[in-house]
Amino acid sequence: MIATYSRTVFGRAPWSALAAALILFFVLSPFYWVLNIALTSEEQSFTHGIHYLPVGLTLENFVGIFEAVAFGRAFLNSAVVAVSVTTVAIVLSVFAAYAFARFNFRGRRLLIVSLLLIYMLPGILLLVPMMVIFRTLGILNTYPALILAESTHAVPFAVWLLTNYFASLPRELEEAAQVDGCDRIGAMVRIALPLAVPGLVAAALFVFIASWNNFLFAFMFTSGENVRTLPVLLRMFAMGESSVQWGKIMAGAVLTTLPVAAAFLFFQRYLIRGLAAGAVKG
Amino acid sequence: MVALVTVYPALYAIGISTTDANLLRLATSKAVGLANYIKAWDDEIFTQALWQTVRWVVVNAAGQMLLALPVALFLNTAFRGRGLVRAAILIPWVVPGAVVAIVFRYLVDANYGVANDLLLRLGVISESVAWIGEPLPAFGVISTATIWSGFPFFAVTLLAALQVIPEDLYEAARIDGASAWQRFTKVTVPLLTPTILLLLLLRTIWLAHSVDLIFLMSNGGPGYNNYTVALYSFILTWNQLQLGYPSALVIMLSIVILIASVLYIRSIERSREWM
Repeated sequence: MIATYSRTVFGRAPWSALAAALILFFVLSPFYWVLNIALTSEEQSFTHGIHYLPVGLTLENFVGIFEAVAFGRAFLNSAVVAVSVTTVAIVLSVFAAYAFARFNFRGRRLLIVSLLLIYMLPGILLLVPMMVIFRTLGILNTYPALILAESTHAVPFAVWLLTNYFASLPRELEEAAQVDGCDRIGAMVRIALPLAVPGLVAAALFVFIASWNNFLFAFMFTSGENVRTLPVLLRMFAMGESSVQWGKIMAGAVLTTLPVAAAFLFFQRYLIRGLAAGAVKG
Repeated sequence: MVALVTVYPALYAIGISTTDANLLRLATSKAVGLANYIKAWDDEIFTQALWQTVRWVVVNAAGQMLLALPVALFLNTAFRGRGLVRAAILIPWVVPGAVVAIVFRYLVDANYGVANDLLLRLGVISESVAWIGEPLPAFGVISTATIWSGFPFFAVTLLAALQVIPEDLYEAARIDGASAWQRFTKVTVPLLTPTILLLLLLRTIWLAHSVDLIFLMSNGGPGYNNYTVALYSFILTWNQLQLGYPSALVIMLSIVILIASVLYIRSIERSREWM
């Protein structure tokens, strides 16, 4: 502790508390307003004008959002897409990443570099080609279109993160298992995979959050209620109405953010470690 | 395999940018050569969007940096509740763009928003401002939202870089009689600079192509005042189902970004040789 204490020019207790409070205020105050409006009935908000505290706490907006729009269906759509993208990305990338980290084959470096380049390709550049391809295949406005589109970013990212992770694990353990009679696949499944769980969790979480939050692809490739995801629905509801129903909108915002925020808070140690490893090595 | 899935669309985009394709009459699209690329320079919305792209990238990359650096330095000190603050600052990063847009639109809403109320009470403004309805205020609000949601990732990456600076270096500097400020400028700054420069580059590339928050908050409006090149291309595809012209716009953008990135990396390497 004393060692870290000396690292920078900051460090005295009252100033630290003040700085921490300022940062927390900047970061968290928008959430306060979301809850304040979501928990106050729209009539109350209308009569009171701006209220700095919730007026007559109520959950009616959280019921109202389900009645005003197909919120439940959109929630289901978001869940189906995000879980599918995460599964596809992890299953594909585990094997690819293990191969990149452990085997020296021709074109290995080239493949790794091209994966990174693909990850850097902006979604906006892929929008038009994907649109044409999906239309030709006749899968516009279906889950597969959205899952495919989001996988173009999710898979390279997961491969990259997991390659770094596998590479950081000691090779000797797997070699020892092979000496003891395990085959190559067995060594990977029994030794390397269990050790890579933190990396796997970080990759899965990152992909899940990115997919759940994705707006661009979801907006372009889903126009019907059956596949519309939460971000697209929220925009429609917030922009479309002539009289803005802030209470219901904010309740929708809370419910949209809850799954990713909960997943993040639950697994944040893994995520920060995984991101830091990837970012520093990259 | 993965490479194929993404390289093919990228090449496809180049191909389609030399046609007058439209999603509604895909079968009858004609090759028009470089006409889309030439046409762009007579298109006032595009030339205006170019400058707005530069403004957008510079303001937001610099804003995120200026916020992230002090926060990262602060999080690298020992204080009570450090773990809590570190987890809390990442929360904006997981909030969906659609929600960020709604929250900030609410905060500056002309009738219900708290920003107008506070400014009125403080006497800064004499009547409610429709922030999203004016070119520059809209830009300010969208940028604030972008910085709010973008700086956490920046700060945490900087923090990771700070934490791998060996403690011995600070120890040695202290023994040589360096003050806290000198330790900061002579040890922290030089060792952190490569990370900062890399992050700025990645952020710039990302910002130049990002359309989510601008679109979600004002559709690029009022009018065309907050169109970036990427947003203009996106709106043409979405609104008019055009494919050829918007592809040409994005490809030009990507080429400019690519050249700028290479020059940037070169100049960093050159300045390193100098040192």
